Order: sequence, then C-alpha cells, then structure tokens
Amino acid sequence: MKRLLATAVAATLAFGVPALTTAADEEINVVMFGMPYTNGLQKLAGDFEAETGIKANIDVIGQDVFENRITLSFTGATGDIDVVHTPVIQVQRWVAANWLKPITAEVDAMAVKSDIMAGPLDAYVINGEQWAVPYMAATGLMTYRKDILEEAGVDVPDTWEDMLSVAAKIHNDETAAIAMRAVPGQGFNMFIFPMVMRAYGGKFFEDYTGGDLTPAINSPETLEALNVYMKLLNEYGPQGAGNFNFAEVNAAAQNGQIAFALEGTGVVAQIVDPAKSKFADKTGIALPPAGPAGRSPAIAVHGLGIPASAKNPELSARFIEWAVSTETMTKIALSESFSNFTTGPVAQNPEVIEKYSKVHPDFLTMQADALNLAIGHYRPLLPDWPALGQAIGENINAALNGLVSPEEALEGAEQDMKDILGM
Amino acid sequence: MIDRSPEFRVKKGLGVTMMLLLLLFAAIPTLWALLLSVRAPDSIFEPIWESPLALTLDNFFKITRSDFPSALMNSFITAGSSTLLAMLVGVPAGFALAKSRVSGKFVASWILLLLRMAPPVGFVIPLFLAYVNAGLIDTYTGLIFAYMTLTLPLIVWSMWNSFAQVPDELIEAAIMDGASLAKAFLLVALPAARPGAVAAAILGFLVAWNDFFYALIITRSGTTTAPVAVMNFISYDSVDWASIAVASIALTLPILPLMAIANRYIVQSLSGAVKG
Repeated sequence: MKRLLATAVAATLAFGVPALTTAADEEINVVMFGMPYTNGLQKLAGDFEAETGIKANIDVIGQDVFENRITLSFTGATGDIDVVHTPVIQVQRWVAANWLKPITAEVDAMAVKSDIMAGPLDAYVINGEQWAVPYMAATGLMTYRKDILEEAGVDVPDTWEDMLSVAAKIHNDETAAIAMRAVPGQGFNMFIFPMVMRAYGGKFFEDYTGGDLTPAINSPETLEALNVYMKLLNEYGPQGAGNFNFAEVNAAAQNGQIAFALEGTGVVAQIVDPAKSKFADKTGIALPPAGPAGRSPAIAVHGLGIPASAKNPELSARFIEWAVSTETMTKIALSESFSNFTTGPVAQNPEVIEKYSKVHPDFLTMQADALNLAIGHYRPLLPDWPALGQAIGENINAALNGLVSPEEALEGAEQDMKDILGM
Repeated sequence: MIDRSPEFRVKKGLGVTMMLLLLLFAAIPTLWALLLSVRAPDSIFEPIWESPLALTLDNFFKITRSDFPSALMNSFITAGSSTLLAMLVGVPAGFALAKSRVSGKFVASWILLLLRMAPPVGFVIPLFLAYVNAGLIDTYTGLIFAYMTLTLPLIVWSMWNSFAQVPDELIEAAIMDGASLAKAFLLVALPAARPGAVAAAILGFLVAWNDFFYALIITRSGTTTAPVAVMNFISYDSVDWASIAVASIALTLPILPLMAIANRYIVQSLSGAVKG
C-alpha cells in the first residue's frame, strides 16, 4: 500500500510539475476555432517561432468549446489568452463588455495594413478604434446542378421568383430542388435567411444606418420573404429540411440529393471540390438570387484580436501581423481550402489562382462579386446581435416547421427583439 | 416442474422479443457509429445498400494523425490517477466510517452525498479562478484533483456500504488473534469487501473517463481529454462525422473489457452480497 501511495503521488507530481513550469516570457497562447485558415495557421506555428523566436501555442478547438473557454477567460480576466479568434459578429458584444484591447496604434504600425481589404478591416472599427484584424471574409453563394437544369431545359434562376418556378419543375423524390440552413441560430438560419429577406426589402430595424433601432422585422416584405423561404424548403426541400444545418446541406449537395444549395463560401468550396464531392464536375456556382430589392449575399468576417487581459500585447500584435501577412496567408491558401482571405496580394499569386481555378473556374471571381454586393451590416453589428439572432432564428424555424404561422413568427420575432433591447 | 403450457411459451416469446427490441434500440447508436467509421467520406450519407462496398479504414488512420490519440492518453492518465488516488484515500475512509464509533457519521454521510450531487456548474467559476492563480490550468495535477471531487465521494460512499456488510466479528476476531487494526483492515476487511472495492474503482473511473465539463473548463491543448477532443471535429463550416464516429468508438472500447471483467463484482456489490 505504501509503495502504491508513493507511486501515485510521484506520478501526480511528475505529470503536474513540468506543465506548471513551462511558462516562458517569449511565449503566447492563441485560441481559435476550427476552420481551414486556423488549421493552416496552427501548422505554421514553427515558422513564427523560427522568424521571431516567440513560441506560439496555437489551440484550434471546436466552436462550442471555444465559446466556453473564452467566456471564462474573459470574465475572469485571467490573461491566459494572448490572441483570440474574433468573429466580427461578436466583436460589438466583446467591446461593450471590455473584453478586448483596442489595437489602433498596433495596426497602424503594421506594414501589411495597406494590403488588407478595407471593408473587412473597417468592420472591426468601433467608436473610432480598431479592435481586431481580419483574415477572412466569407460570403454567400448558390450552387446548382448543371445536368439537372439542362435536362429540365431551364436556366439558372436569377431571382427568387425564378427559383420557385425552377424548383417546381425539377423537384422529385430522388433529387430535391433546394436545401438551406434551417436550424435556429445567428450563424445558422440567420446567416442564410437574410439573403432572402433583404432581397425582398425586409430589414431588422427601421433605420439601422441612421441610428433608429426600432425593430421592424414584422413587415410585409419580410413576410413575403419568409413565405418564399418556407415554400422552397417545405415543398421543394429534401426530407427533414426543417432541421438542416450547414453540415446537412453540404452532405446533401455532395451526395447529389439536392439541385440547389445556398451556402457560405466555406461550404460552397467543399461542394465544388472534386476530392470531396461526387457531383463536383456537374455543379456550377452563381450569385444568390435577387428579389424586388436587389441581391444581398451574406457576409461573415473573422479576424484576430487581443484580449484586454493579455499580459504581453506587443508579442500578440507581432503574432497578428505575421498571421495576416501576405506570405503566411499565401501558404495557407495553398495548403488548405482557404479562398476567402482578406490580404489582397494573395489573390494575385499565380499558384493560388491556379489552385482555385482548378476547384472551379469561376470561384474566385464569383466570390469577389458577392463580396462587393454584400453590405457590412448584413447581420446587424450590435452587442445584442447574438441574442437577437438566436431569438429571430427560433421564430423563423418555428414557422418553417409549422409550429406557428409566418405572421405569428414575425410578430414573435419583433416582440423578442423589443424584449432583448429593453423597449 | 418446467412450465410448457402454450400460454407460458407465448409470454416467454413476447418477453424475448421485447428484450431483443430493447437490445437493438440500445445498440443502434453504436452500430451506426461503427458503420460511419468505415464509410468512405464521399459515401458517408448514402444508404448502405446503395454503396455497400464503399468501405475504408482510412478514417482510423486519419484519426491517428490528429490530436485525438494524445487526448485519449490524457483521459487514461487523469481518470486512472484520480481513481487510484481516490481509492487510496476513499477505501480507508469508507472503512473508518463503517466501523468506527465516532459521532457525526450522519452529517458526514450527507456532506458526502451533497458533494456527489452538487452540479459542477455551481462551483466552476471559483474553481477556474483558483486554478488560474495556482497555475493549475492545463495540468494533469489540476484535472486529477478536480476529478477527485467526483470520484472520492462516490468511492467513500460505496466502500462505506461495502464495509458495513462485513461482520464486525471478523475484524474483532482478527484483532483478538493479535492483528493490528491496519492488518485487520488489509488482510480481513478489505478482501471481504473486494467486490465492492472493484465496483467502486470501476464506477469512479467511468465517472472521470466520461467527464466533459471539468475538462472543457480547465484543460487546454496540453491536457485535453478525449470527450472534449471529439468536439474539435466540429468546425466552423464542416463536421467530420467519420472522425467523430471513430473517436466515439475509441472512447467506448476501453470501457468494454473493464465492464466484462468487473461485471461479476458490480453485480455482487450492488446486491450487497458478502460471504462472512
């Protein structure tokens, strides 16, 4: 028994002590959630250390795990994170909670600043301060099955009205016409549905850009859009379409179970990738359909920020500058499925151009067109947006699944918005 | 007399059918995971009858190149160490509580139960802050001690019950024959309570092995355990179902031999049988 006890204590100390004594000055902890860029960056950590002598512990984790870890770290001001993955959709909330450090001076001093696309960079300016540096701007595109459209003798739908008539012609038991994200969430159905809503002239607030934040989602325009979204998914969607998320849409498209998918570029890149999809060579891409109010592709910007409690912000800023540099971005664009980089010169690299035109000849240009059309506040840039998006998304999903009528869903969404905003 | 009446046969048939249905219901998720784990990535969502030969072992090789194997090792180290330490402390504690004539046992039992029942979310923030200040975040030591808050009450409570069923006369006889209390405990009481001890160790190990919450909060890349590492296969714009299936099988596999070996002891322990 004594020997057992001694072994156990020795083992515990042996496991614990090295980990307790690893903290060195020239070392930073980077926490990000998994996506092609972050996976690629993690593999390049050695390059950063070779160039700067700073050891970067890059943790790439699942998004749910990430949310939990950073919330605890930020609320406890623990200083255990030096660089944090900062989605633009969260940055308002984080800034309001004093979780981030303003980095205007640090970014101004970065040589790479002039190469970073202005739109995504500006998305991180709040109250005149820069709070993060973008590395990726995803947008929304539509994929379509060329063979199915040819067989039916129809063109690629340019508007949502066209989409309804094309869907009616091509939908059958074997291949459903269309799938879109339906699961409630600000990054799930509320990443996709506003592409329909804004095309019909629907909006979240009376006058967002003018500063009038009176909820205005319960409008005839949004109702019309919701009816189109519901009709497409309920009548021309695959079985269980009311519970699809990006993974199911991706799988259905890769598996030939749908003709159209409206998705973020990260998923679209997988649908048209011959290494991942059996139907890649039969799949075309197009801009999202337009409506009476025009075309409004989604936009999602991700970047790197420095937590307010970071102990060594100078090292953090050096890491960010390296991470968004043309050289690092180009390496990742070549090694991963990462086409939505925000450092401009990467797009001029011949190897990058060759790689993505092999995946799909129109991919890079179509993505640039969609980004040009996208409005920065596609999803409102507000501290309360995560809660608002969740509440609206739940009402939209309830209507889609027949739990409430579309009218009730929009009334409910507007009331929820008022409750969240304290109106 | 064996009942061979038609009525009995119908009842037995119904019973067996019901058992098989329940077994199938319980086994479907595992079977599904097994199937997913050997499907080629581009056929993973196809019904098996459409491409029955689209099978591959690549998913298993792929996961060996990820961080998951080291996470699995972390799970073994932390669950194993916390169980071992909890047994070293908990078994003598259970013996003392069962056999000593001290007052306050009732209160002690309630405190232990409360510790066992308290949801970790109730004390996670103070624990997290204490760990940050003590430098215990992302260390085996930190996770092992956190797991002991789960395993120790379970083991003490369970061993208390097991030792209570060992007749006092056995221990008294050993002491009358000249054995010290420690010897009486080690050579008489412990062997008599062996089924309970094995069951307690296994249940304690399983509680720590299956933990997600503590590992989520107090580990980082250095000590991530397998249940948390599984979540890392869900990324921003893709879900690696095949790796999740392989990982969930890898998480279940070590438990199966443990359960097979310990089955007898757990049944004995739960039914309270001690032959004295």
